[in-house]
Amino acid sequence: MTGNGLPLYPVTVVGSWPRPAYLLEALRKRQAGQLTFEEFNAVADRAVLEAVRYQEDAGVDIVSDGEQRRDNFYSFVVEKLEGVKLMSLADIMDVVEDKASFDKILRQADAPAFAIHNTTAVGKISPKRPLALDEYQFLRKHTRKPIKIPLPGPYLLARSMWVKGISDSVYPTQESLAVDLVEILRNELIALRDAGCEFVQFDEPVLTDVVFNAGVKERTFMCASMSASSGDPTKELLFATRLINSITEGVDGVKTGIHVCRGNWSRKDEVLLKGSYAPLVPTLMGMAIDQLVLEYATPRAGELAAFEHYPQKKEIGLGVANPRSDEVETTDFVVGKVKEALQYFAPGQIYLNPDCGFGTFAERPMNPAEIAAKKLRVIAEAAQQLRKSVN
Amino acid sequence: MSVSEQDHTVINGVDVDAFQAALEAVGSQPAAKHAPKASRVRWMNGLQFKAMVRNHTFIVDEPAHLTGEDTSPNSVEYVLGAYGACLATGFVMNATKQGIKIRNLEVALESTQNNVFTFLGLNPSTDGHPGFEEIIAKLFVQADADEATLHKIWEHTITTSPVHNILTRIATIKPEVDIIP
Repeated sequence: MTGNGLPLYPVTVVGSWPRPAYLLEALRKRQAGQLTFEEFNAVADRAVLEAVRYQEDAGVDIVSDGEQRRDNFYSFVVEKLEGVKLMSLADIMDVVEDKASFDKILRQADAPAFAIHNTTAVGKISPKRPLALDEYQFLRKHTRKPIKIPLPGPYLLARSMWVKGISDSVYPTQESLAVDLVEILRNELIALRDAGCEFVQFDEPVLTDVVFNAGVKERTFMCASMSASSGDPTKELLFATRLINSITEGVDGVKTGIHVCRGNWSRKDEVLLKGSYAPLVPTLMGMAIDQLVLEYATPRAGELAAFEHYPQKKEIGLGVANPRSDEVETTDFVVGKVKEALQYFAPGQIYLNPDCGFGTFAERPMNPAEIAAKKLRVIAEAAQQLRKSVN
Repeated sequence: MSVSEQDHTVINGVDVDAFQAALEAVGSQPAAKHAPKASRVRWMNGLQFKAMVRNHTFIVDEPAHLTGEDTSPNSVEYVLGAYGACLATGFVMNATKQGIKIRNLEVALESTQNNVFTFLGLNPSTDGHPGFEEIIAKLFVQADADEATLHKIWEHTITTSPVHNILTRIATIKPEVDIIP
């Protein structure tokens, strides 16, 4: 048992869980304006409880609500913030000058403009509702387990929400938008901490886009986030670090994590990024974050040796199951990954989770709930095995 | 009008040196010969569509007698206009390369289609097709060159016109469908 009451090698999730059919139907009705926010959430309550039961039955130590109330990991902020609109790329392309870069994204995604939406800052942003405090409060009433709440990262939101030709009427630059985003996210972190939330994770998948699409200024498609960059990786990584630190520094009493993956929104490997975390590790080490939630279940993530120059500096949420594959990992596989990680992290610094969520996008889960549960069960069994070997 | 400004020679409004340099730059990339292009066309409402190419957009509509809003040409009319513009572009380019000054130029086009009723569903039989049957493309030009030279440029323009070759050769079309739930 660790000092925080958790067992050694705590098992957790990254966040999203597959949505049941009735929830997807309710989501579509909500998006069509046929259900109010409250009506939709009444349906989602049931799905959250089911998602949590799957996790608890599998042996997960730190649970999430499966992001059941969210259509995806970041665009749900449209329901929570004033000044933000979910715009189809068709609508965006009607207004902006740089239509060609959006067209390129559509060709990358092999999707029509009417089907891809972007969370866009169209006015001064301010809280309309809590980002996730209500999600936490509901879950708190229905589980005794510690709770992880994922939030979209500030860098992800700044890059995707600021659209030249639309947002610059209120926010002249991406940086000016980020100022308001940081305030909102920091206030949310503090509110979650004060309510008793044990773990808040900031999702920043776009950081891999920075290092693996270095020099690209035009918009790229990463987890459906239509992000525009300066094209200068050093500048972008410093910006991302500054934003995260502005949110987390000085906020004690809650574990913070940052989740950086290479994209797990498609089963087609060729549309996803791949490459070692090595170029990102120095930046991650400079962030005022307790835990790095990373994917290591597949070869595309590179080697854990990326941390050899930073031994035992931070916790790792070690990705040990591929959410996009049918094959269920073995306990030997998970144990092997942990033994490898022990070269660079102390036992008490290693948490175990899948590489990413199982349903980054509500309409496109990577696996059915039964397979996802099997994968979590294997991780929990491996953790039990490892704990026994220590005892 | 030919104007020399410092080291630049401009004929017919074309900076000849810049144009020549652009041609050489393109020619130095063998892959550029395939000139890939892309367009995205989105349905707006009724029989109105928005076409996007690079950062440009244009509307495609139907004439009022076919219940369109008649705000813009229809697809076939765009092809006819594109053909005329392509011929005009080629003629100006070829004349400019020879240093010939053009004072005025127009291309007037007329077309007929084989059987547009097959598109409109008015003729359920397989009698004919809705493609072009005949196109008359007439060049009107005033230029500082003799008639024989101008005729030669026109003949060369036609045979090397991309849209002329689009209309007279057969491209491989690969239709696909993606049904979005």
